Amino acid sequence: MTDMRTEYARSLIEVGRKDPRVVVLGADTTDSLKTSGFGREFPDRFFNVGIAEANLVTVSAGLAASGKVAFASTYAIFLPGRAVDQIRNNVAYPSPQDKKGLDVKLVVSHGGLSVGPDGGSHQQLEDIAIMRAIPNFRVLIPADTAAVAGLTRLMASEYGPFYMRMARSKTPLIHAESQKFETGRGITLRDGSDCTIVSCGITVSMALKAAEMLQREGVSCRVLDMFSIKPIDSDLLEKAARETGRILTAEEHNIFGGMGSAVAESVSESYPVPVRRIGAQDAFGESARDAEIPELLKKHGITSVNMARQARELEKR
Amino acid sequence: MGLDYYKIKKNILRARKLVIRGTSAAGSGHPGGSFSMAEILGCLFGNHLRFDPKNPLWEDRDRLVLSKGHAAPGLYSNMAVAGYFDESEIDTLRKFGSRLQGHPDLKCPGVEFCGGSLGTGLSYSVGVALAARMDSRDSRVYVVLGDGESDEGQVWEAAMTAAKYKVDNLTAFLDRNFIQQDSYTEKIMPLDEVLDGDDPSEMWKDASRWKIGDKWRAFGWNVIEIDGHRIEQIDAAIRRAGETKGVPTMIISRTIKGKSVEHMEDNPQWHGKAPDPAMVPVINLELDSQFMIAPSIIAGDMADLAGEVKKCADGRADYIHLDVMDGRFVPEKTFDHAKIKELRPLTAIPFDTHLMISEPARHISDYIDAGSDIITVHAEATDESGFGEICDRLKGGGVGAGLAINPGTDLPEWSHKFLPSLDQIIVMSVVPGRSGQKYIAETHEKMAKLGSVLKECGFSGYVEADGGINLENIGSVFADGARVFVGGGAIAGQSDVRAAIRGFRDEVLRARRRLLLEEAGRQGGEDLVQKWIGLHVVGKKQEQIKRIAQEAGL
Repeated sequence: MTDMRTEYARSLIEVGRKDPRVVVLGADTTDSLKTSGFGREFPDRFFNVGIAEANLVTVSAGLAASGKVAFASTYAIFLPGRAVDQIRNNVAYPSPQDKKGLDVKLVVSHGGLSVGPDGGSHQQLEDIAIMRAIPNFRVLIPADTAAVAGLTRLMASEYGPFYMRMARSKTPLIHAESQKFETGRGITLRDGSDCTIVSCGITVSMALKAAEMLQREGVSCRVLDMFSIKPIDSDLLEKAARETGRILTAEEHNIFGGMGSAVAESVSESYPVPVRRIGAQDAFGESARDAEIPELLKKHGITSVNMARQARELEKR
Repeated sequence: MGLDYYKIKKNILRARKLVIRGTSAAGSGHPGGSFSMAEILGCLFGNHLRFDPKNPLWEDRDRLVLSKGHAAPGLYSNMAVAGYFDESEIDTLRKFGSRLQGHPDLKCPGVEFCGGSLGTGLSYSVGVALAARMDSRDSRVYVVLGDGESDEGQVWEAAMTAAKYKVDNLTAFLDRNFIQQDSYTEKIMPLDEVLDGDDPSEMWKDASRWKIGDKWRAFGWNVIEIDGHRIEQIDAAIRRAGETKGVPTMIISRTIKGKSVEHMEDNPQWHGKAPDPAMVPVINLELDSQFMIAPSIIAGDMADLAGEVKKCADGRADYIHLDVMDGRFVPEKTFDHAKIKELRPLTAIPFDTHLMISEPARHISDYIDAGSDIITVHAEATDESGFGEICDRLKGGGVGAGLAINPGTDLPEWSHKFLPSLDQIIVMSVVPGRSGQKYIAETHEKMAKLGSVLKECGFSGYVEADGGINLENIGSVFADGARVFVGGGAIAGQSDVRAAIRGFRDEVLRARRRLLLEEAGRQGGEDLVQKWIGLHVVGKKQEQIKRIAQEAGL
């Protein structure tokens, strides 16, 4: 099990060494996000604007407008949820010359229910819906630290606005260190022919476990890591629809507007097949101590057991 | 380097007309807030912003961020005047396919910030300024905030951030026009001391109630408080801000929403409304009819000219008129450039130096160096080559150039070629040198003839009336075409200079209101006259204008 924030902070220093344009901003969560390490190495390229997320986003936009590559980070709940106007009007909308948006990367931690003890007020279950609706933004959810490293490098090298949501808890390693990450290209982690589970973030490892269970019952289940939710990999989804005939999605997000919605939109336009979405059923989260987080996730159906059950039900259709 | 007062003034006038043109063509837009910041933007574009309209992305340019983005017409008009695009493009404002979006947009090269959502421009400017510092660029960032948008919490988040990071390459303006969309700011969300009564004009009357400067000081900023329509004050404040190290500067600029068009002034209705195209010619004439009062200090106590300057400054004179007499061109002697230099630090109000001296070309540099903002020499004392040299020196020094003619003199033929670039013509209506003379009545006739010559020759400056101007004749002198009025005995000679200046203004205002009523009548008959009167809804303006219309038989 490895920690996404540690990996993000390490990757930031790596891209910061390569590219002097990289600047990092925080809003009083820089120790938690571990970006303060970047500040120690590059004190002149690091800004802590205090508990002022709107300001965080717009100062980043100003830096980006002057040629910097700005990484702004805090908890998920305080960025899309709180500063959507600044994200839209100061980052996504301004398009210099032939470019689209400003070069700002919003990277958040503590996405979804797995935040745990802080409770419902801190469990961002709407960010994908919000960020997906804003033009020029690309939306990423890494499943493990290898993805965090790869996607941080990718964001640093590709111009434009990105949103990347990390989980608070440690996650198992899924991808090889050599795994390549491209926007709009999902990764097939396991092949299968009877159904497909499309997952992102912490649900990827659950999906793999579910596929194991299903295999024992003779059901061949494909597993996709759809870390790039926008743009989404329509080709890979169409192929999955065509070849497996059923799609199950799983995410720690409201089922409305999240990754599941994106998948359903995509396949309904390319190759309509039954789609079932696992996630918060238009509900908020609540407190759960670290050891109880699996119970909280279970309450919302986000478990490998439920994924396997839902897949079986889908198969009966 | 001089203030280049007239250059800026003329640019501001062009810009204001473009705002009227653009918003009336669009049928919507925000003229009120464009006009309250017109002088601020005029000064920035004219004297301070480093930019290249042919290379809008030049790395070392200064950045202007319009946080109060709804005042986009005010920005676009200044950009057109500065040469970013042709003035005619203003006709596309707010229309489909235009670069001139309803709110400033990077689609238009030269625009630095996509405004529209209020309260965000300062944060953005902090980012831009930090980037400049990181890259060791000495470019400055200027940002214009509205007072209404100061309700937004993010403004104060940014204020703290700028102070924390000592962003001293950032100069902010607060366009304090006291009006936001719904009503007066002090009714919606007070920035100053809370009003007790219902009369919003109370907030103007008592400067001790003004607390917004204290807010910014408390946030760690260098605060300069000015009259935001006074070019000389804006200019001086920008210079001081540029010299301030270690802290950002906020220039609190007290302004009037809709400034320069009476019916828009201080009227919340004109926050976001376009003028009726039928009214545009009348509005343009009003913009062309801005006027200045220039007390001549020699009419006061010659033994205490410093005291006279202070009185004029307290009385809110537009210029200080300085009559320099050398005892040769005129028999009297007053003072020379040394005195002007001595008086210069007393006020930022432009010095309108009137040289009644022989061989002005020989002395012109002394008067530029002394700190004059406008220098006028006599046609009788110079010739084509001498005047050519004088003009070059004046333009090179950022000083306005004027030519004066005595009552017995007509504008000489040789002067015609200079007229398009001249800033000021002084028409003497008394024989210079002796004080206490009466206005020479023939000057009215002379002014009429002069007016057509000036028009033919493409003169775009101001005619200054000098000699025997008083409350009785100032209205008719305005009607003749004069726009700057020298007040001798009738101002500087009075015990209450402030009241005398106000009296002058009131009389000129009456004459101007009449002129505009007549223009409305010419443009659209009685119907338009009635409509024009109906537009003036704030305070007692409507009654007063109605009375003028009745007196004039309109």
